[in-house]
Amino acid sequence: MSNWKAGVLLFGPLALLLFGVFLVPVLLLAPTSFHEYSPGVGIVANSWTLENYARIVTDDYYREVVWRTLYLGLGVTVSCLLLGYPVAYLIVRGPARLRLPLTLLVIFPLMLNLVVRSFGWIALLSNRGLVNNFLIQTGLIGAPLKLMFNLTGLMIGMTHIYLPFMVLMLVAALQNVPRDVEAAAATLGSSRTHVFTSVTLPLTAPGIISGSILVFVLTISALVTPRMLGGPTYKVMATLIYDEYMQLLDWPSGSALSFSLTVIAIAIIWASSRITKCWAGMA
Amino acid sequence: MSSLKLDHLSKHYGEAVIVRDLSLEIANGEFVSLLGPSGCGKTTVLRMVAGLIAPTGGKITIGEREITVLPPNKRRIGLVFQSYALFPHLTVFENVAFGLRRQGVKGVELEKRVKDALALVRLDAFGDRYPRQMSGGQQQRVAMARAIAPRPDVLLFDEPLSNLDAKLRDEMQIELKRLQRELGITTLFVTHDQAEALSLSDRVCVMAHGNIEQFAVPEDIYHRPATAFVASFIGKPNRLPGKVASRNGAGGTVEIGCGLTLNADRLDVAAGGEVELFLRQEAIELRTTPAEAPANSIPGTVQLRSFSGAHVQYVVRIGAGTEIVVEAPSSGAASNLEKDASVFLAVAPANVFALAAKGARS
Repeated sequence: MSNWKAGVLLFGPLALLLFGVFLVPVLLLAPTSFHEYSPGVGIVANSWTLENYARIVTDDYYREVVWRTLYLGLGVTVSCLLLGYPVAYLIVRGPARLRLPLTLLVIFPLMLNLVVRSFGWIALLSNRGLVNNFLIQTGLIGAPLKLMFNLTGLMIGMTHIYLPFMVLMLVAALQNVPRDVEAAAATLGSSRTHVFTSVTLPLTAPGIISGSILVFVLTISALVTPRMLGGPTYKVMATLIYDEYMQLLDWPSGSALSFSLTVIAIAIIWASSRITKCWAGMA
Repeated sequence: MSSLKLDHLSKHYGEAVIVRDLSLEIANGEFVSLLGPSGCGKTTVLRMVAGLIAPTGGKITIGEREITVLPPNKRRIGLVFQSYALFPHLTVFENVAFGLRRQGVKGVELEKRVKDALALVRLDAFGDRYPRQMSGGQQQRVAMARAIAPRPDVLLFDEPLSNLDAKLRDEMQIELKRLQRELGITTLFVTHDQAEALSLSDRVCVMAHGNIEQFAVPEDIYHRPATAFVASFIGKPNRLPGKVASRNGAGGTVEIGCGLTLNADRLDVAAGGEVELFLRQEAIELRTTPAEAPANSIPGTVQLRSFSGAHVQYVVRIGAGTEIVVEAPSSGAASNLEKDASVFLAVAPANVFALAAKGARS
């Protein structure tokens, strides 16, 4: 009984805050997403329709944005994982004197404002940016590569921005792998590669799952970076929702998109954690 | 088939010497324990044999194969860890099958050999479980099955029983001994528990500060300690400073102050030399009448009595300020002595260990 009370007291303040400023407003949006919107008039009262949701599936433009968002989320997650795992491995298993400098190097970008970091990528990736200028001047390419306002630009920028989260999750996971268990595999005849694939990798699965979920969710819901590196035309769901609300004032459509994004995110998180758990034999 | 030979093995970390020029030969099928206090280098030796730590110098040979620089997976050894180190993401069956799969064993043969290994540790029915669903003792038996299933040339144990509670430890000791005798695999067993080392091993190697203090059969380690360190480490010794009064053949007489002397069967120090005397609590008999020669007989008074089940411990004062602890069987004649009772301590000269003070643990 006292345990239960302590639990309520500990969790209570956060629960109240989340309920008041997150759950209630979100639920208030639910009816809005089923209303009709008429340009120039606004939300039509007492009109109920599924059209806002149907459009996301049937309209080519909306469908493309949804797929692009998911593809971007997946791409950024995979590249963060591929780039982050070796770094995390080096931090945990490398020489002790490299541990602090490497960790600082990973965390340092988080201290810079998101807008500044995104703007930095504009300076690097634009048609007359540093990368293109360098490649043209060295004669490797004739015309500038299109590195912005497309998937490439978003992938590069967002992988950089979310990499620290992935690395920190993987560092925690790798620190939890007992060295004796790896040594046991080695004495049983496993080469270093086999020790990694058969022991280290499955035992870090929880970290891989949580890191991937974190990066995926942050990516598909990101607004500032896609806005800056994607420009006004190359849209993802978050920027589309923003425009529906703030520029078109089409709240019903924006609400429907918001709910769809949330449902998709939850479904993918659920499915991927199920799959990974089976793979790691934890189910 | 496969003896294990360590040849002038050493390990330094910068200035710190962990293992110093250590040579050791274990015959095929022999069970040898490395016994010593923590920090004596015994685990480092084991890990060098396993290939988990690279030696600074020396050579390791299994049978005719020199393995000093081979990676662990090429050494054909089985290692059982203190922490069990089972694969938490694999079932018991897959844990045991791990090493066999690495050797390319598959199908019916694999199934049979895993079953056989599990049967040896009496866990036949547990193949489908995960390690976390098992008790500590069961997990350690899985770890043993996993180590023996690939039929290694040498088995290594790194304090495998010290995470288990006392009763389970005794059971596992017997099981381990039975298993090793049955399989006849050359075994190196690291422990800090002397009873474990003495009861399991064919020979015991007592280590201190990276050196071998004594390498002998358990009876010799117990009854004929070679150095002051071994005498102080094995059993529950009382420790007294003394001076050799006279020599008599291999033995002699030692003065321990207050006009008291003790005869010892073996004495390596010349007359007039300083020695340390070790009298085991359990090797002293408490009597109410003086003991007959040739046994030493020292008068004293009981200071304290403490009953602990099978034994009664007495603190007995001899001479002016020396106190000796004596352990008497609680069913014996000397089980119920009162405080201040006058007694005689009877010690056979064979049980008086008088050794040069150098190298003793302080």
